[in-house]
Amino acid sequence: MLKLQNFSIKDIFSNVDITFEEGKTYVVMGANGVGKSTLLHGIMGRPDLDTHGDVEFNGIDLTELETDERAKLGIFIGFQAPTSIPGLSNFQFIRQANNIKAIDLKENLDKFRDISTQLGLPEEWDKRNLNTDASGGEKKKNELIQMLMLDTKIAMLDEPDSGLDVDGIKSLIEKLSTWKNENNTLVVVTHYEKLIDGLNPDAVVLLKKDGVQIGDKSLADKIFSSGFENV
Amino acid sequence: MYKNLFAEVLLADPQKTDNYKLSELFEFTTETLLPGLLDDKNVVSYANVFEKPYIDNLKYLKQTGLPNPKSEQFNFSNLHKLYGLEIAPRTDRKSSYGDFEWVADKSNEMVIVDGTVLASNNISHNRSPSVTILDAITTNTSKQKEYIKYIKQMDNFTNTTYSLSPFVNIMVFPASSKQLYEKKPLTVNYLNELKENTLSSNTTMFDIQHNVSVKLKEKVRTSAGQMNYSIYILREGSKLEIDRTTKDKGGWSLFDSVFICHPNSELTIKSTNTGSQYTQENFYIQSSSGNKVEVIGRNNIHKGNDYHQFIHHISNDVDNYSNIDIKNVGNEYANTSFIGRYDVGSMSTNFNGTMNNQNLMLNKNTKMHTRPILDIKTKEIQCQHGCTISNINEHQKYYLQSRGVENIEEILIESFLC
Repeated sequence: MLKLQNFSIKDIFSNVDITFEEGKTYVVMGANGVGKSTLLHGIMGRPDLDTHGDVEFNGIDLTELETDERAKLGIFIGFQAPTSIPGLSNFQFIRQANNIKAIDLKENLDKFRDISTQLGLPEEWDKRNLNTDASGGEKKKNELIQMLMLDTKIAMLDEPDSGLDVDGIKSLIEKLSTWKNENNTLVVVTHYEKLIDGLNPDAVVLLKKDGVQIGDKSLADKIFSSGFENV
Repeated sequence: MYKNLFAEVLLADPQKTDNYKLSELFEFTTETLLPGLLDDKNVVSYANVFEKPYIDNLKYLKQTGLPNPKSEQFNFSNLHKLYGLEIAPRTDRKSSYGDFEWVADKSNEMVIVDGTVLASNNISHNRSPSVTILDAITTNTSKQKEYIKYIKQMDNFTNTTYSLSPFVNIMVFPASSKQLYEKKPLTVNYLNELKENTLSSNTTMFDIQHNVSVKLKEKVRTSAGQMNYSIYILREGSKLEIDRTTKDKGGWSLFDSVFICHPNSELTIKSTNTGSQYTQENFYIQSSSGNKVEVIGRNNIHKGNDYHQFIHHISNDVDNYSNIDIKNVGNEYANTSFIGRYDVGSMSTNFNGTMNNQNLMLNKNTKMHTRPILDIKTKEIQCQHGCTISNINEHQKYYLQSRGVENIEEILIESFLC
């Protein structure tokens, strides 16, 4: 369970209170520039953000923890624009992140290749440089592979649909639905109606400059029909 | 022994027991520390061995002096650090394998130390089509003279090295060796494992004959001082690949490499370097026509070390290709410089050159310099350059952190140098 209390990020938003519970799926919506991506990065502990308030994950206070320490607790952020690192292969990256030992290498590599094939990524994707010379959609699929390969307890995905084609969206929904269970949590920032329908969220969070409004899926429907101003 | 003039001739007299500084050699070139060196018994006793080249070298050195930091290729160097080093006069010298007996049982391997070549048994007996080693000066002086014409004295450290070690060690890869040393590279160790403050000087020549392919694995290790001047002759249609690693063993080194590329020859240099208390590594490449040249450098310069590089590619004929790609990582208090220069003559049409130097500066106390120089005298060429100095990319760092990766700096250095 991830709990935010009076959570603020300087110059972005203030006084956000949300609890993301285990076993549930959340969709985060909000007007452009309101701070949806920044909210996720604030939870992840991005060093340049000036955050205030309480953040607690499964009873552990995150406020003093570094980003990598938060990641090791099982918090995963899927980047809107994943960073490229030439010279580091996609699988080596996973190997470093998971600290995979030689004895487990083959098993992990097979798993990686299975997922990348299912997502329609090119052959030898494992050897390609991390997010280098990849399309927007391929980068998003790569984020999904990382999420599935790591020991993710709460996945916070920032517009995972952007750049994906029709088949890609379908694969994304399938993968997320398969991954989702009563012990993990899914938080997705998106405005894509079909993805929201596919995920069938337990709650929709509308982020505003001065807090949040939380509702069920009908809140998303209202936003789509009336716009953010009229909700 | 006859070659290490620096220790045993120039500085052994008149104060045999004192240590000397390199700056004193500089003074010698201008102030004549040893009056009468050129005409009295100090040299006469060696004359039968050294003959005219040695005298000429000393005269030349005396005229030019050591390179001045204001010279183009030493603009960013840290030469004063070198001048301050104390060098002990050598009183003993081993002409046998001594500490390098291990090389005898190796295959395709040699040690070059203090002007002497010690080769593994499988190549030291000149069995055809193996490499021919011309090291015995007393029996090969005529052959030596044939090769002397390839040595061009320049306004850099090479004239110093050659003056200290004027007779070259020559390795000839005969046409009959074809790809023998491509399949199993020749390992060349430039070693000075002597006590600190000694100096080892080597002048070496590699003659790659027509249509022969050779790979050299060069290992440069020095716990004291080392000055190398190596000339590589790439005959028509030959290929040379050099994989050079230089590791810090506590000493300092100056390594000048001259490449004379005959038509349609191919040269590839891959070098890695950790730097040292002072390292200067220079490549001078002279192209004829139809040459393909690649210089790939991946250097992780350790804390407090110096590494300075000058790469000069001269192209005076048609259809030459050149790719210079150097990446340096500078750790805390490291001091690095790169100067790359293309000289493309008016007849050198279709020259295709790319020069890149990327530098990753890990600390605010690191000093890194880069300077690309392109002197082009013809229009019909393609030439580009890019030189950057940057810090660790914070986005990349955060991305790795967000996945719980440890050793982030190490990983980013590795990926940068990849």
